Amino acid sequence: MIPMWELIGVWTAVLMTLAIYSFLYGENPWYRLAEHIFAGVSVGYAVAFNLDYLRDQWVNKWSLSGTLVLLYMIAIFFGILWYARFSKKYFFAYRWTLAIIVGTGIGMALRTVIFTQFLNQIMAQARLSLWVPGDLLQSFSNTMIAIMVPCVLLYFWFTGPARDRGPMKYIEKFARYTMMAGFGAAFGYTVLTRYSLFIGRAQFLLGITPNPPEARMAFYVIAAAILITLFAKDHLFKKT
Amino acid sequence: MSILEKMQNIDRRYIYLAAWIFVLFPLFFPLGLPVPIGRESVAWFDYIEAIPDDSVIIVSMDYGVSGMPELYPMTVATMHHLWTNCQANNWKIIVLAFWNQGPLVFDTLLTQIDPAADYNVVYGEDWVELGWVPGAETGMAALATDMWSQTPRDYLEDRPLTEYPIMAEILTADDIDLVISIETGTPGLPEWLRQWNDPFGVPFIVGCIGVSVPGMAPYLSSGQLTALLPGLTASGEYELLLNRPGLAVAGLDAVSMSHLLVVLLVVIGNVSYFASRGKEVS
Repeated sequence: MIPMWELIGVWTAVLMTLAIYSFLYGENPWYRLAEHIFAGVSVGYAVAFNLDYLRDQWVNKWSLSGTLVLLYMIAIFFGILWYARFSKKYFFAYRWTLAIIVGTGIGMALRTVIFTQFLNQIMAQARLSLWVPGDLLQSFSNTMIAIMVPCVLLYFWFTGPARDRGPMKYIEKFARYTMMAGFGAAFGYTVLTRYSLFIGRAQFLLGITPNPPEARMAFYVIAAAILITLFAKDHLFKKT
Repeated sequence: MSILEKMQNIDRRYIYLAAWIFVLFPLFFPLGLPVPIGRESVAWFDYIEAIPDDSVIIVSMDYGVSGMPELYPMTVATMHHLWTNCQANNWKIIVLAFWNQGPLVFDTLLTQIDPAADYNVVYGEDWVELGWVPGAETGMAALATDMWSQTPRDYLEDRPLTEYPIMAEILTADDIDLVISIETGTPGLPEWLRQWNDPFGVPFIVGCIGVSVPGMAPYLSSGQLTALLPGLTASGEYELLLNRPGLAVAGLDAVSMSHLLVVLLVVIGNVSYFASRGKEVS
């Protein structure tokens, strides 16, 4: 038997899960309630974690010397300027912080992006072995990569009527099939992920180990209550 | 309305109802469908088995509670694999997160597994949890150059890092031998590549949700990413390789059934579409 406060937690988790899934039936107050609670809790959690981090940094590093204190204060000042975006008068100040964040982020990424996401990919493409001994599937896969990648690049290279002339006519078609296959794979994996998330929640609702077994009873009771209220709401609105 | 038209305009709520039935049925009554082991999970298993002795490994929890249904089973299995071999191979494990809900997920894991009792590993000597590092990519870059400065205290016991022997010689990314990132999005693989893999040559392996797989495949082909564990199915296969069936294995029948439903719906949609189009033409 789990303690009462844990039991309340389990029932709340089941209620929130089913309230979110009630959206499948249609827009309704259960869903709205869960959505607002989720948004509030997520933001509250993030704010608390950020404040905790700031405190740790202050105690263990930035409060140790006068220069560091000054730097810390400057950082906090620019952090507070984020909120200037809510004021028409001081909106310009928000842009300073934004400029620092965007500039730092882009500078940090550009340092290596040309290697990691461009040159290394080109080199890997050039090094691809079309024939992998003993692995027919990999050989086929590599051959397709060697054909498909240049075709898609050429597709975006040539635009307008140039695409409909000479060999580009066939390359363009093959490139479109390639992209459709890519989008299809992405869509397939997306469906797979959505189902996996659903299966995970279903395992929780049914109390499958290591989830708390108390969730199953909560699932039956709360699901019935939500369904009854949804049907009743529909019925009442139809009558009026 | 003909049956072909009706099939194309099925009320979405019936489809959702079918999805609930197809998922819940195998969870109530497990079917025990065969589970072929894929090459990705074998590669992941082999890679962890082959980690050299005395390695320092970062496990980064780059996902939140929303990613738990798909990624939590692989996190449990991976931590089980690492902790089991930790003492024999003298591995040092550092758990951290670039997603602020990462520590929350790891807290859940620690309510189900007691590393000291189950694996005989000592906190602060064999493994340590540093918690959340904010700043996303900027935070990753900063952590790579000065780990102590970014996380002056640990997360679990909230004590200074000076009190933990494991951290004595771990200062920068140069001291790290492997990064294992379990992730759902940004920051994730591209950021690790840009800030750790390329500048410091730290190898890394990634466990991810299915949606991310097409985007990660090129990095796996190019060798920048050493191993990839994609989604719940691969997690189940990995659990079987470890001979420790868990949540992922329990969900594999439901995965198969849900995919069967999707295939059925795609077939119904296509058949009715092409049949009704043929009718219109005639």
